[in-house]
Amino acid sequence: MKWHSFHVALIFAITAGILLACESASMAAQSPSVEISLERPTGTMKMGDTPVFVGTVKNIGRQPLKGLVVYLSLVSLKSGDEHPVDLEDWSAQKAVRIDQLLPGETNTQKWGMRLIQSGKYGIALTAVDPQRKQPIVSDLMSFEISPKPTLSSSRILPVAIGEPLLILLLLGVVRISRIRTA
Amino acid sequence: MSTFMSLVRKEISEDLTATRGSILFLIAGMVLSAFSVLLVSNTELSLLDNAQAVYMMCGIIVMLGSLIAVIRGSDGFAGERERGTLESLMLTPATTQNLAHAKLIGILLSWMILFCISTPYLWAVGSTGQNLLSTIPYLFTTGTFLVLIFASASLALSSKTRTFKSALSVGLTLLLLAGSPVVLGPSLRQSSVGRLMDLVNPVAGALNTLDSTIIDSQGLIFQVLPLAVLLGYSLISLFILHSVTRRVEL
Repeated sequence: MKWHSFHVALIFAITAGILLACESASMAAQSPSVEISLERPTGTMKMGDTPVFVGTVKNIGRQPLKGLVVYLSLVSLKSGDEHPVDLEDWSAQKAVRIDQLLPGETNTQKWGMRLIQSGKYGIALTAVDPQRKQPIVSDLMSFEISPKPTLSSSRILPVAIGEPLLILLLLGVVRISRIRTA
Repeated sequence: MSTFMSLVRKEISEDLTATRGSILFLIAGMVLSAFSVLLVSNTELSLLDNAQAVYMMCGIIVMLGSLIAVIRGSDGFAGERERGTLESLMLTPATTQNLAHAKLIGILLSWMILFCISTPYLWAVGSTGQNLLSTIPYLFTTGTFLVLIFASASLALSSKTRTFKSALSVGLTLLLLAGSPVVLGPSLRQSSVGRLMDLVNPVAGALNTLDSTIIDSQGLIFQVLPLAVLLGYSLISLFILHSVTRRVEL
């Protein structure tokens, strides 16, 4: 009887051990091995400014990471008109590939951006590790771009009114000189 | 050569002194003025990035240039035929090809005058922004290619049609056909068919070059392909004009 109980206890212990090992391996696979953060520039932002956002990616795992892809995502948070923004027009580089990130190593990237439209926006940095199923995303950082009229009427109106008048004047001069010649 | 030069001189003087030539410049100036006033008077448009405003202005300038090329090109032979002046021109020692080339030079000069007229407008909307100086040579190059293409095609059509109206209607249809895919917007042009249409369409090629230079600040290496397509179309149009005008009927 004792012998039988010993066997049952042994099998139970082995099974529990295997289950625990699988569980911890699965948890290790799911827990992020990258810490990612985005830092906003200080001060207010207005149209036409070119602030630089600083993104940091740190390997907090025990294995070196290879072929990490890091990219910015910008979203317009204007109430009722929320939509992703194509960064092409904002002159921000689209993605950065980090060849290798050793355990404990930190990679810092500067993301310059030309603010071309006013409004409320949210920005986040995403890192994709080819070895993992889940991308790692930083906290969404919201910021406001204040409007700034870029087209000045004091510069445009003199040209817009003056030039047709100048052409008209030249046409008149040509016409008068032709009549006189005739 | 002297006969050819006299033909060129005649075309240029008609451009600058005749009402029908010079009125086009006045209208072009008024269109550019109206658009500039629209930019500052509209609250949303006045907040546009300078580069975006310069790009929109450049689009209007190249389309105005193409429109003038179609109007002047359609008038080239068909107009002379209707006014009864083609016969006297054909009696000169110059060949009909010389006549076509002289008319083409006249149209190119019209484009250069339009380009000079438009430069102050570009300065007015974009002097505080980016890429204004690099815009100027690209606008001139792409505009010259488009004017060459549409002027040659319209002149070739005009040499074969009886009336100015019919030459103009075909020329304007061609211009609309070439310009319409651009109106579709960038999202519809992202597909492979859209990209192919962009590649083979000279108007889209010119506008994409301007977009890439003015808004995306991309260098010459990115413009090689669209500029090569524009150059190819220009050479083909010139060849067609040269072949078609070898024999022109009264």
